[in-house]
Amino acid sequence: MSIAVNVLNVALPFFYLATVGSYAHAFLADYSFAKKLKTALLAVTLVGHLIYIVLRTVLFAHPPITTIFEIMSIVAFSIAASYSLVEHRTGIKNTGFFILVLALVFQSGSSAFIQDLSEVQPVLRSNLLGLHVTSAMLGFSAFAIAAVYGTLYLMLYHNLKAGRFGIIYQRLPNLEKLESMATFANISGFGLLSLAIGIGLIWLSRAFDNVSYFDPKLIGTFFVWLVYGVGLTAKGVIGLQGRKIMILSIVGFLTSFFSLTIINFYFTGFHRFF
Amino acid sequence: MNLIASGINHRTAPLEVRERVWLSDTETRKALSLLKTGPFSECALVSTCNRTEIYGVLNDLSAESEPPDVWKRMTAVLTQVKALTGDLDPTHFYFLRSCHAAQHLFKVATGADSMIIGDIQVLSQIKEAFRLADSTDALGPFLRRLMQSAYHVAKRARTETMITEGAVSVSYAAVELAGKIFADIATRKALLIGAGETGELTAKHLFGRGIGHLFVTNRTRSKAEQIVASLGGTVTEFESFQNQLDHVDIVISSVTGPGYILSKYNVSRSMKRRSHRPLVIIDLGMPRNIEPQSRSVENLFLYDIDSLQNVVDQNLQRRKSEIPRVNAIVLEELREFSAWIKSLQILPTINDLRTHFEQIRAEEVAKHINRFTEHDRELLNLVSKRIINKLLHTPSVELRNNHRTGASERMQTVQVVRQLFGLGKLKGTESEEK
Repeated sequence: MSIAVNVLNVALPFFYLATVGSYAHAFLADYSFAKKLKTALLAVTLVGHLIYIVLRTVLFAHPPITTIFEIMSIVAFSIAASYSLVEHRTGIKNTGFFILVLALVFQSGSSAFIQDLSEVQPVLRSNLLGLHVTSAMLGFSAFAIAAVYGTLYLMLYHNLKAGRFGIIYQRLPNLEKLESMATFANISGFGLLSLAIGIGLIWLSRAFDNVSYFDPKLIGTFFVWLVYGVGLTAKGVIGLQGRKIMILSIVGFLTSFFSLTIINFYFTGFHRFF
Repeated sequence: MNLIASGINHRTAPLEVRERVWLSDTETRKALSLLKTGPFSECALVSTCNRTEIYGVLNDLSAESEPPDVWKRMTAVLTQVKALTGDLDPTHFYFLRSCHAAQHLFKVATGADSMIIGDIQVLSQIKEAFRLADSTDALGPFLRRLMQSAYHVAKRARTETMITEGAVSVSYAAVELAGKIFADIATRKALLIGAGETGELTAKHLFGRGIGHLFVTNRTRSKAEQIVASLGGTVTEFESFQNQLDHVDIVISSVTGPGYILSKYNVSRSMKRRSHRPLVIIDLGMPRNIEPQSRSVENLFLYDIDSLQNVVDQNLQRRKSEIPRVNAIVLEELREFSAWIKSLQILPTINDLRTHFEQIRAEEVAKHINRFTEHDRELLNLVSKRIINKLLHTPSVELRNNHRTGASERMQTVQVVRQLFGLGKLKGTESEEK
């Protein structure tokens, strides 16, 4: 089993690379073979990744959510799986390259630095924590997807405004579709993040006796929640739409990325378990 | 393959020549019946504004099937049907045989040979032409199969390449642009300002895409009413059309006259009132109707004639760049078609040849059989059969090996063999089709 985990750990970035490559090829050259191949490659990559997560969980007797690099692998998987669902639901297959490249980056980082930890702190073996991390990661993936759609929206918006009718104009879905996909992802992400915060607060009081609610990660997460909350309220109440809401979506993702990575690396607090 | 294709198109002849030989349905029927009694066992005539072409299967390899003779026959039919005065210039016509003829039809069906590359109308015109030929009993199994292959090629070209993608007219480019901003045109409202021809055509395309509602306004109200009568929608007063900007999503403006009918200030105010919901304005006016600086207003997408022409040019360029991919599909399907022909003609010819020789042998043996003793009769049968087998061995092997050569050359060999031995017309096509 250990060999299988190691092989998959090395192979997964290459699977993602091949998938991203086929999506890029289909997007740029509209090559029919790549069009057929890309969805199949994504399915193979997702199955391989799922097997890897299951094997890792069984081998090390804990779900891979205890270190930042384990979490990065979960994020890569949830981004790719969420995109696959979106592709299946909407039938829009031209945006895969832009989203799956994020999964490639996360999985490559994870594969390069992941450590095999058999022993983890008892506090990390809680079911509540598993639910908290899963919902947080799914939420983060949804924000990442929303940010990509937001970026694509801005690219198409500027192309349309400037009267440039090149590959961006030809291949991307219309602005309204991109905005609705980004909004759907943001609403899903916000819901999941709210759930993660709620579960986290319940778990915190049970796991620790003395907890500071001024933990950098908590503040960062609350700030992310606030940005998305304000953005979605503005959209719902004052009808803010188009370019501005897409910019807000990107700002929200950058904030959550900062919260997930920089705070984890450079700040100390109870969220650091490794 | 006795297939020929001959005709004129936009590349070989000017419009005045093309319109002389353009055939209506009635004329096509008449021409088909004349051609059917002439050199062709099967034929179909395709006549559109850009081409008049005949696809036919020649009866045999007689002298008449040489290009000049076939051409003479065809022009005679055209002259008779169209009551033409004066000669047709042979240099305007092309004459293609066997695989080249099939290849030509395939290319035409994909739209790769059209004046506007990727034109999808041509396929329905071809379908109609073959339906007409069928209704006049001019079609046979060969052309039916050719037609099926042509449909298949066109379908593949449409789904596997981008030869038909993108708007190639200014009016449709405007609709395409609106489709890049709004997901569902059916839930949108449009305002047509002015009664210009391109504006009306754009509105017609919007209706084709199921626009939710159309408002029409014009300085002369009666003209707006005429448009509404033909397209549908609601007439709105020209003096107050700016109020409509708050409610519509697409504006098509084609007003003639100096000065802007909408300034940047008007547009900005309207965008504020509509909470910056996206608005597409297509300015088809000459001089322009909308102040160009309005383009900088957020969520406003302003396009003029040049922008639309730019879309058209890029789409045409893209379609042109797809031609090599279309040609590759045409070649693949041509190989399939040739394989069908090959399977159809070589084996039946060998069989016919053997039957023919066996018939002669049997007749001759029967004539003289009584001269032989009972024992010798058996020997006579055996020896005569061996001679026939030995005589036919090399020609049979050569014919079988003939499938390695080009389709045109192979068909010629088969036809020569059939002519030399008087094997008559191939019946194989009918049985294969059944």
